[in-house]
Amino acid sequence: MKTRLTGWGFAFPGVALIALVMGFPVVYAGVLAFSSLTFLHARLTPFKGFANFATIFADPLFWNSMKTTVEYSVATVGGEFFLGLVVAVMLNQVVKMKAVYFAILTIPMAMSPVSVGLVWHMLLQPNLGITNTLLESVGIPGVDWLGSTHLAFWTIVGVDIWQQVSFVILILAAGLASLPLEPLEAAAVDGANAWQRFRYVTLPMLRPVAVIAIIIQLINEFRTYDLIYVLTRGGPGVSTDVLSFFAYRRAFLGLALNEGSAIAFVLLLIVLALTTVFFVYTSRQGR
Amino acid sequence: MRRKLKTPLLAASLTAFLGLGLHQVQAKDITLHALMEDVPETHIIESMLPEFQKETGIKVEFQKLVYSDMHDKLVAQLTGSSSFYNVLEVDFLWAGEFPAAGWLQPLQPMVDASKFDLAPFIPSMIDLVGKNQGTLYMIPMYNYSMGLIYRTDLLQDPKLQAAYKAKYNTDLAPPKTLAEYVRIASFMKDQAGIAGSAMQGQRGDPNAMEFSNYLFSSGGRYLDDQGHVALDSPEARKALTLYVDAIQHAAQKGALSATLDDTQRLMCSGAAFSFVTYWWMLPQVNDPKACPKVAGKLAIAVMPGGHGESGGWGWGIPKNESPALQKAAWTFIQWVQGEKISIARAMEGHAPVRSDVYQNADVLKKYPYYKEAEQVVATGMAFPVFPYSAQYEDVLGTQLSLAASNQTDVDTAVKKAANGLADLQKKAGQ
Repeated sequence: MKTRLTGWGFAFPGVALIALVMGFPVVYAGVLAFSSLTFLHARLTPFKGFANFATIFADPLFWNSMKTTVEYSVATVGGEFFLGLVVAVMLNQVVKMKAVYFAILTIPMAMSPVSVGLVWHMLLQPNLGITNTLLESVGIPGVDWLGSTHLAFWTIVGVDIWQQVSFVILILAAGLASLPLEPLEAAAVDGANAWQRFRYVTLPMLRPVAVIAIIIQLINEFRTYDLIYVLTRGGPGVSTDVLSFFAYRRAFLGLALNEGSAIAFVLLLIVLALTTVFFVYTSRQGR
Repeated sequence: MRRKLKTPLLAASLTAFLGLGLHQVQAKDITLHALMEDVPETHIIESMLPEFQKETGIKVEFQKLVYSDMHDKLVAQLTGSSSFYNVLEVDFLWAGEFPAAGWLQPLQPMVDASKFDLAPFIPSMIDLVGKNQGTLYMIPMYNYSMGLIYRTDLLQDPKLQAAYKAKYNTDLAPPKTLAEYVRIASFMKDQAGIAGSAMQGQRGDPNAMEFSNYLFSSGGRYLDDQGHVALDSPEARKALTLYVDAIQHAAQKGALSATLDDTQRLMCSGAAFSFVTYWWMLPQVNDPKACPKVAGKLAIAVMPGGHGESGGWGWGIPKNESPALQKAAWTFIQWVQGEKISIARAMEGHAPVRSDVYQNADVLKKYPYYKEAEQVVATGMAFPVFPYSAQYEDVLGTQLSLAASNQTDVDTAVKKAANGLADLQKKAGQ
């Protein structure tokens, strides 16, 4: 009993800090989601029950944002995983200057998404940007990277992958480095070629690490906001209007903090579900 | 008796000394912060701030941002117990929202106490960006009425003139109607190899402001005289059809993601024939140092069709601020909007809100086109000003962007934009 209390005693400062810094805003956002507080009606009361949720669920643009968010998350995480796996496997073969490669890989990860967005915004500027200038110099017509409904989504997906893929590479490379060599050697002795060894030995052994990388990235991508804000503001039309940007528009342009919080709450539930999957999976792997 | 006199005199001297010293210390210690749009008008004032500090001891610091980031940053400050920004630059689109939220200090008592003369201010500017429901919350800062800026060298090019005549059987001349403008801009893109119109089609404020010019030029309106929504009209459909046509056939590549800055750069680089923009943009792109390719080849006109979008900025003082800082802010506002500094600003390209500045001989000598500019201001019509103006820009901008990118048709976009305005008006209790 005494040991237990001592344990709680040691944990208390940290728990209290987390409760204050993280718990309070989450709880307050939850309260706002059920309140009538807007910038023009600066009071929580009268509480509106689920009316704010009903309002946003009745808006077709909310469902468009939900769809865009799911598509965006799947596309970015899919791209990051595929590219990350290829690069991680290649890095696994590298013997010399490994530290240099890893140092270079961390650069995009260390940049803030806003800076990344601004840099790419300049590079992709359709009339005066360097990307189209280079394309046009070799006779390829310039591309409307961010102004085309079909392309803007994929352009942002590409920029996001550029920044986030390093994280996936590092996780997968660490996973690959920790795999035992014996099963691979046994497969080689049995006559398996390089592809068969990768497909039937390496990949199954890498699965726990891969799943963790995918879930962490899904959580990250569902919350994407900065790149959209800097590059397209959700446009053209509503083609890049993800859920977090939709929540921002409701709260700060529509002055409806309560509805913005309701949208953020929905987003929180999705991320919470993904986090639960993550913990269940990692705890099962631990056993 | 001497002793009796000496004590109060000493006390008075000490008080005067301390008071003067205190006053100086206070002025010296005061730094006013203002969040400003990163546009030439701000740079002009910024260059004069040392003069203000020399005169008053009050230091003013500008934090410059692009327009799209300003509203949220201001709102976050104004909803707190105190604001980092002590002088506010307020767009006319927020002139309904900020007073309704109770964030602005009424200015009439300060005007009366300091006998600041409001008579020279253009009355429409006071209405647009000064008073809200009869109360003075802001002092007009500058206007940003919109008009058409175009390249005269391209209109006078003999080859282009011949090609235009052959194609349309009419002379290539400054457009008189919106349809004519879109036709000429499309022709320029096709024949001159540059964008016919540098357009700011990004969803939200950029495309909402730009489209308003098309709407007013086509004879359409957002609200009728009684304040009822009048957007769902044949004129609005015509305007949006022409707007979509211009985006798709006359504008630069990437117009749907372009902002004001993009259009300025494009025009400055000589890669566009025209743009529908704020009239104060003319001195910027007509500057031989900044834009050597186009300087001296530009003209301004009232929006073809007769009416452009009218807008402006005002100075306000936040309510959540100490009286000392409010007083310092008022000192700054009086100085910067006084006749002397307004004329000095105009000599650098300022867009005046005072009629005496438009009539100043030195200003007219340096900028003869201020006569046209005055016309642009005089014929301007305004976007609806109410507490949800910023949200309405977003609602309208979304429909415009959907229509321009063929994700919806003109009829649906106009209907939804009109219904959106009616819904927000209802929400605002109007």
